Amino acid sequence: MAGSQDMFDAIVMADERFHGEGYQEGYEEGSSLGIIEGRQHGTLHGAKIGSEIGCYQGFAFAWRGLLHSCATEKDSKKLKVLESLIGMIQKFPYDDPTYDKLHEDLDRIRGKFKQLCSLLNVQPDFKISAEGSGLSF
Amino acid sequence: MKDSLVLLDRILAHPDSRCWFLAWNPSGTLLASCGGDRSVRIWGIEGDSWICKSVLCEGHQRTVRKVAWSPCGNYLASASFDATTCIWKKKEDDFECVTTLEGHENEVKSVAWAPSGNLLATCSRDKSVWVWEVDEEDEYECVSVLNSHTQDVKHVVWHPSQELLASASYDDTVKLYREEEDDWVCCATLEGHESTVWSLAFDPSGQRLASCSDDRTVRIWHQYLPGNEQGVACSSSDPSWKCVCTLSGFHSRTIYDIAWCQLTGALATACGDDAIRVFEEDPSSDPQQPTFSLMAHLPQAHSQDVNCVAWNPKERGLLASCSDDGELAFWKYQRPEGL
Repeated sequence: MAGSQDMFDAIVMADERFHGEGYQEGYEEGSSLGIIEGRQHGTLHGAKIGSEIGCYQGFAFAWRGLLHSCATEKDSKKLKVLESLIGMIQKFPYDDPTYDKLHEDLDRIRGKFKQLCSLLNVQPDFKISAEGSGLSF
Repeated sequence: MKDSLVLLDRILAHPDSRCWFLAWNPSGTLLASCGGDRSVRIWGIEGDSWICKSVLCEGHQRTVRKVAWSPCGNYLASASFDATTCIWKKKEDDFECVTTLEGHENEVKSVAWAPSGNLLATCSRDKSVWVWEVDEEDEYECVSVLNSHTQDVKHVVWHPSQELLASASYDDTVKLYREEEDDWVCCATLEGHESTVWSLAFDPSGQRLASCSDDRTVRIWHQYLPGNEQGVACSSSDPSWKCVCTLSGFHSRTIYDIAWCQLTGALATACGDDAIRVFEEDPSSDPQQPTFSLMAHLPQAHSQDVNCVAWNPKERGLLASCSDDGELAFWKYQRPEGL
C-alpha cells in the first residue's frame, strides 16, 4: 500500500517539483549574472566619479600654480577657495563605496568647483563623457 | 467677504504675455513687475492711477521670472530664464544695468537680497542655490554654490533680521542655510508638503515661515531655538523648525505665491484657480498652535492663474497682484467688521 502511494506521489508532484528545481536553478544563475552586472555597473559609475573629481583636481593644481605668484587681495580669496577645493578632494574616501556621506560630499565638491570657476571667470565646459560631444541640429 | 478686498486699479502690464512677479520698493512708492515679454516695468502712482515710469527691456533674452529691490531701494535685481541675473542701478527715473551675474546652468527662478544689503541669493532649475556677496564698488562675488535640493529650486527668501536663507523646491522640501566658517551650509530641511513648494514668506518677527505648495496647502513653520522651553529637540547649535499649522481645504488649485504683510500680519495667497485669499491669525490662538481664518476670498480676481501677491510695505491693506493674463491689479484689503 505505502509503496503504491509513493509511486503516485512522484507523478502527481512532478509538476511542482520541476517548477521548484527550475526556480532554484534560475535564481542561482540570475544571482551570479547579477553580481557580474553589478560589478560592471559599479566599475563604470566609479570611473565616472573618479574621472570627474580627477578633472577638478587637475584644474585646481594648474590654477594654484598660476595664482601662486600673484599677491592681490582678490587673488588670495581665489587661492583660499582653491585650497578648500583641493582639501575636499584629498579628503574624499576613494576606497570606500559604502561611505554614507558619499553623495553629499560629492555635491559639496561640485559646488565648490562651480564657485571657483565663477571667481576665476572661467566657464566649466568639460566634456567628461566617453561619448564625446553630442549632436545638435 | 467680497467687500473686504476691493479693486482699486487694473492694468495690462505685460500685453500678450504673462506677468510673473511684482516687488514693491522699500519706501512703497514704486512697484516693479516682470514678465514673459522679457521686460521689467516700473510703476508709480500719479494722482489716482498707476502709470509706467520706465521699461527695462534690454537686459534679458528670455522671460524675466522674478524681481527684487535692494534694502536701500537703489538697486533692482532681475532673474531670468536666460540663466542670468541682472543688477540695475536707479539713476533718477531710469535704471542702468550695472552687472550681469552668470553661472547657473539654466533658468534662474528667483533672486533675493539679504536685509544687510551685502548678500544676494539666486536659485535655478539646475537645482542649486548661489549666494553672492557685493562690496562697496558694486562688485559681485560668488561665496557659495549649494547643491542641497534634488530638484528645480523655485524660490529663495532671506530672514528679515538674521543672515538665514530659505529655499523652496520641486523636491517638495524647504531648506534653510546659514554661514559656517566661511562657507554656507544647509542647516535644516522642512518636510511635509506632498508636492512642489512654490513660495515662502517669513512673518514680521522672523520666528515663523509660511510655505505654499502645489498640494494646495499653506504650512506655517515655527522656529525653536536650542534650549527652548517647549521642549522641542534641536541638534546642538542649530534651531529646529516644526510645522505648527496647515491650512488645507481653502484652495482648489496650486498656490503659487504667499505674502506675509510686515505691517499687519495678514497672509495673502495667489492661486491657480484665479482667486486671491487673505488669512489672519486668530488673536486668541496659541502661538505654538496658531489658527488662521479666511478673511477675504475673491474668486476671478484675474482671468487666469494668479502668479504673485505683494503687500505694500508702507500703506496698510494695499495689495498688488499679477496674473498669466498679463494684468497687474491693486486692491484695498480691510479686515471685515465683527470678525
